[in-house]
Amino acid sequence: MANENNRLNSHDSGKYRQRFRLLLILVVCSLSVLVARMWYLQIIKGSELYQRSESNSIRNRTIRAVRGVVLDTNRQVLVDNQAAFDILFHPQRAGNVRDVTQRFASLCSERSLPYPREILEIRKTRSVEPIRIERNISREKLALVEAHTLELPGMVSEVVPVRQYLQGEAMAHVIGYMGEVGPEDLARAGTRYSSGDMVGKFGIERQFDQPLRGTNGAETVVVNVAGKEMSILGRVSPVAGNNVVLTIDAALQEAAWNALGGRPGSVAALDPRDGSVLALVSSPSFDPNLFRGGISSGDWKKLSRNPAHPLENRAVSGQYPPGSTYKLVVAAAALEEGLITPATTFHCPGHFTLGNRTFRCWNQKGHGNVSLHRAMVQSCDVYFYNLGKLLGVDKIAHYARAFGFGDLTGIDLPREKSGLIPTREWKVSRFKQPWLPGETISIAIGQGYNTVTPLQLALAYGALANGGTVWRPRVVRQIEAIDGQVIQTFAPEKKGSLPLSDKNRILLRDALWGVVNEAGGTGYAARRKEADVAGKTGTAQVVGNPAAGKARSLSARFRDHALFVCFAPHKQPEIVVAVIAENAGHGGSAAAPVARQVIDAYFAQKSKAAKEQVTRLDPPSRSGQAPETTAAQPVRREDP
Amino acid sequence: MKIDRRLLLNFDWTLFGMVLFISFIGVLNIFSTGYSLADARQTPLYVKQLQWLTIGLLAMFLAFSVDYRFIARHAYVIYGISIALLLAVFLFGTAVKGSQRWINLWGFSFQPSELMKLTLIPVLARYFDEHRLPHPHRLRELIVPFLIVFLPFAIILRQPDLGTALMLLIISVSMAFFVGVRWKSVLVAAMGVLSLLPLAWFFLKDYQKQRILTFLNPDQDPLGTGYHILQSMIAVGSGGFFGKGFLKGTQTQLKFLPEQQTDFIFSVFAEEWGFLGGLILVLIFLVLVLWGVKIARNARDYVGMLIALGIAMLIFWEVFINIGMVLGILPVVGIPLPFFSYGGSAMVVMMAAMGLLLNISVRRYILQP
Repeated sequence: MANENNRLNSHDSGKYRQRFRLLLILVVCSLSVLVARMWYLQIIKGSELYQRSESNSIRNRTIRAVRGVVLDTNRQVLVDNQAAFDILFHPQRAGNVRDVTQRFASLCSERSLPYPREILEIRKTRSVEPIRIERNISREKLALVEAHTLELPGMVSEVVPVRQYLQGEAMAHVIGYMGEVGPEDLARAGTRYSSGDMVGKFGIERQFDQPLRGTNGAETVVVNVAGKEMSILGRVSPVAGNNVVLTIDAALQEAAWNALGGRPGSVAALDPRDGSVLALVSSPSFDPNLFRGGISSGDWKKLSRNPAHPLENRAVSGQYPPGSTYKLVVAAAALEEGLITPATTFHCPGHFTLGNRTFRCWNQKGHGNVSLHRAMVQSCDVYFYNLGKLLGVDKIAHYARAFGFGDLTGIDLPREKSGLIPTREWKVSRFKQPWLPGETISIAIGQGYNTVTPLQLALAYGALANGGTVWRPRVVRQIEAIDGQVIQTFAPEKKGSLPLSDKNRILLRDALWGVVNEAGGTGYAARRKEADVAGKTGTAQVVGNPAAGKARSLSARFRDHALFVCFAPHKQPEIVVAVIAENAGHGGSAAAPVARQVIDAYFAQKSKAAKEQVTRLDPPSRSGQAPETTAAQPVRREDP
Repeated sequence: MKIDRRLLLNFDWTLFGMVLFISFIGVLNIFSTGYSLADARQTPLYVKQLQWLTIGLLAMFLAFSVDYRFIARHAYVIYGISIALLLAVFLFGTAVKGSQRWINLWGFSFQPSELMKLTLIPVLARYFDEHRLPHPHRLRELIVPFLIVFLPFAIILRQPDLGTALMLLIISVSMAFFVGVRWKSVLVAAMGVLSLLPLAWFFLKDYQKQRILTFLNPDQDPLGTGYHILQSMIAVGSGGFFGKGFLKGTQTQLKFLPEQQTDFIFSVFAEEWGFLGGLILVLIFLVLVLWGVKIARNARDYVGMLIALGIAMLIFWEVFINIGMVLGILPVVGIPLPFFSYGGSAMVVMMAAMGLLLNISVRRYILQP
């Protein structure tokens, strides 16, 4: 009908029928393509694209748990958390990433503030996660970022907790430091780190990283395209990290650190009754506060390439020849093996000959006829050369191992070294050469292949002092929840016992007392009136040193290490101290005074604490002020 | 003025209803885009779109009430005015995002290039009506219409607005094909265009080149133009069959979808209403286009047929290119979705186009001297 009407008109649309049909096909086909494409996207790829739309807008945000603090044995805070500022950069919020990073760089350089070069490499990414461009920024830089917010879109400051190491250098090696998680940490079993995390890298921070770090919480948030949070879908609260309580006494640590006075060396002080570490000093040291918020590469280079190795904890990983401190082991072996009695004497003419080799005594004039007690007190080398010859290296090694040498002590600190106690078998497998008799002679006075750590020395002498128990040393007393509830206690742990009869043990102990307290004793410098100290000096030749007698003319690097190990009071020992002063010369003159200062500090503190105990029990006459004075005192925890 | 009763009797209510229906869904959809980040200080876009719709209805009424043959007779005048407006853009226009497309007319921001899309249709219709040939057009017989198209094409390309300029070309080519072109001429023209393409590349703005490159290889730039396409496809796809629900599209509400009120408005709809909604919308557009084609077939005269056909083609190509682009099967060129995308000029012009269609539809029986 319609067509008929059209025919009335001035044109004939029938002529175009074919073209209308083509048009119809074109339109229907084209729009069908659209529908097919919609089907593909919405039905076939629907769930996949739905996931992508979810991951666009849903973010899991970690809520960092507060890291636990570290306390000393008197509950003094050693490591705390402090607020610091990081700079975060959200590339998505910056219009032009390059512009913003370059502006930031030029703003920094105008004020001659450092900035990380890598920021100029940042490109726009799809991720809405911010990039942490700098940690622990200075106040100047914080002010700069805050003042230029409008010019630096996407750059924001964030408050983050950082570690504050209150003891600084004095305790750096025990406490350790933290750093950004590395591949090595990620590979460690039983950990759930994610990249960007700060983890303990050294010391307690590393060893007790798990209890300290707590459990991060998480929040599922909906963000818009600018990364702005629109709503929270769910939240898991973080669990704060636990506190770690050390056996170390911060005051004693400080005293030991000061006693060493910055000279390279180490002090290890233990309670011989249970193996708890009272002080553990390594020098030279570093400021662990440099590490908070990531150490600068310049500082890191300075520390890691320093030839004095300030990052090494010498107390547990410094391996030194024990020198004369080793004579204790040799004497114990000879006594216990029945090769000598206390009355056995050897003649010391100032030297000792074996085959065609001559070994000198430190005292070239000679000691004459010496028995065990005087040999120990005056540290007669020739006497011990004779013992060495009688014992042989393997017997010495057997006893050395019993004292805990040549093996890890098992202290709860990372990177401990075991030292070395040579045997015949060891030499064959190590050098493919037989053991030479002359080498045993050197071993007998603690020279040669022997190496020990300061901690091992303290432990061995502690074992002699405490009645024969070799403890596994520990630095951490217990782990507590943030509310003070004890989560884990580390009880003293026996590692072994000395194969020594009481008689022989007391004999040696008294000889050590003589070293310090008798006229002519090499450890006379450690003598004190208040408490009777027993100990042994050592002067260890640095390998390659041709002539010990000419020590003074040698360059500092080749000078002898001074050693001193002691305990006090000698019959009921409470503290054992091992000191090594590197390249410092004689043990008696260089190391013994250091040990003495540590022991002084220990007993001074003890008597002060005892007085406080008395004042507390006996209120002062002006009763109104009592609470104030007691509140100011550090609370001492003493085991009953 | 005497109102012909037949104007009311034969009024095409179906077409009018379809247009109103699409427009209202469009307003709802724009409401959704502004829902999550509503700024109380500004008039919401959906309110503005409603205002434009009202103005558009006025334009529709105007285009409807004057006999289309009168319009065809004065097509060259209208063409002249449109060109003048386009030139005015260069002199007084305002630039948005680097391209100068708008002028201010009595406080309204107006885009003459949108008007040009419609103006071109009666002009070409008039020309082809006056130059009817017993045989398909040869190339040289198409020189005048080519110049008619090329002038606004060049001006609009300079703004720059590649999408609208291409649209002019596509509409004209569609009309020319319908009128009839010799196959040999088509081949020659096609070869000419192809040989000029590398030259044209130099005239394209960087962002235009980028868009084309991105379309050819979307992985090359997943964060620039490719990002838009990707987000659009995620929005559409994540809608699934039934959609996420009105005001519940995360891509839309959280602004992952760019340009969501204008070029990517269909993604908003597809995300929230799913395949079902999208299908219905495409079907309505299909019916609308076919309705326009039917009006062309039934038009009383040649010029009416060509105008109606041109308008139907205008809607068809805009719908196809816009949705195709949003779905990632066509490159991103700035072409709005008729009655759906936010934009005053496009809305008013499209309404006027519908007025013209209604005009042709209602006057199919009316004989006049």
